[in-house]
Amino acid sequence: MAKQPKVAIIIPAYNEEPSVGPVVTELRKGLQGKPFDFEIVVVDDSSKDDTANQAEEAGAYVIKHILNTGSGGATATGLSYAQQKGFDLAATMDADGQHHSNDMINGIEIMLSGDSDLLIGSRLIDAKGMSTVKLLGNRGLSLITFLIFGIRVTDSQSGMRVFSKQALDSLKWKTSGYEFCSEMLWRAKQQGLRIKEYSIRAIYTDYSKSKGQNNWNGVNIIKYLLQRRIMELFGE
Amino acid sequence: MSRYLLLVILNVPLIIAGTVNAVVSYKLGHSSRRRFITRIIVWIIIFLSLLFTKSIYDFLFSNKLTQTEPLSLFDVAQITGIIFTFYIANQAYIRADLLERRIQDLHQELSIRLSEDEKKK
Repeated sequence: MAKQPKVAIIIPAYNEEPSVGPVVTELRKGLQGKPFDFEIVVVDDSSKDDTANQAEEAGAYVIKHILNTGSGGATATGLSYAQQKGFDLAATMDADGQHHSNDMINGIEIMLSGDSDLLIGSRLIDAKGMSTVKLLGNRGLSLITFLIFGIRVTDSQSGMRVFSKQALDSLKWKTSGYEFCSEMLWRAKQQGLRIKEYSIRAIYTDYSKSKGQNNWNGVNIIKYLLQRRIMELFGE
Repeated sequence: MSRYLLLVILNVPLIIAGTVNAVVSYKLGHSSRRRFITRIIVWIIIFLSLLFTKSIYDFLFSNKLTQTEPLSLFDVAQITGIIFTFYIANQAYIRADLLERRIQDLHQELSIRLSEDEKKK
């Protein structure tokens, strides 16, 4: 009997006590009976609330950050764990409940078909339900990602991503905040990885709306990306 | 001694040091080919600008693009200071960047291992 692929689902979380438990529980239910082994890994980015315990009780393996590093740092830790433990694939999703577990499973199944290395779940292929402000912010950051790095994707800031074994082994980025989303695409391009997108639905509850990035953070993201792009010309 | 020659003599060591750093970093596999080429081009541009300072000044002056006085000793010191600052800033950035990466890796590894240990207990 052929060995089943091992998939790690990484959920970076910071102060997500109300949502992380239900997110893990729903995901576990959805993943039961699928033709792959899985482990749900929650990276608690030094939360001040009970995020870690809620995730553990829901059945996730929890890695606790000693320091708060930001979403990029937490994602990097989760992927590093997946690489060290020899997982064949890894996927990331948000802990605020804005992603649907079916979309995650769909992404893993597309990745298992093997024609991409980095698969991005795009909320903007079908942007129904997204507020105009968020839509503009996300489209703006995708445009900036294109202008700075030359990568054309519809949703550069999506937290739902699936990584092939090759991407898992080779992808490294330097920024640790939300700007890592765009930097990761740049690193993937530098490594010659195949980047693809698939459509996902975003679930906007009052809670997930309150947790998302606001558009002013976009200014910071642009600043960090430009800084990284320019300084990288000289650095090691 | 000509002030233009003095400008070149004072700055050539910095340019050589910057170029050598770029070559060593590339040869040791610490930087990509593209980054190596960029760094070399920057230092070559600085070197050529210093070498042809007088010609550039004459061209600008004769075309009424500048009305400043020819190079003074203070200008020589100031330009050398700017290039020295650029060199130091570049070196400082490289070291800070490397250190940041090491701290991130250390934090990652420590978090993973501590979580594993906690679960084993």
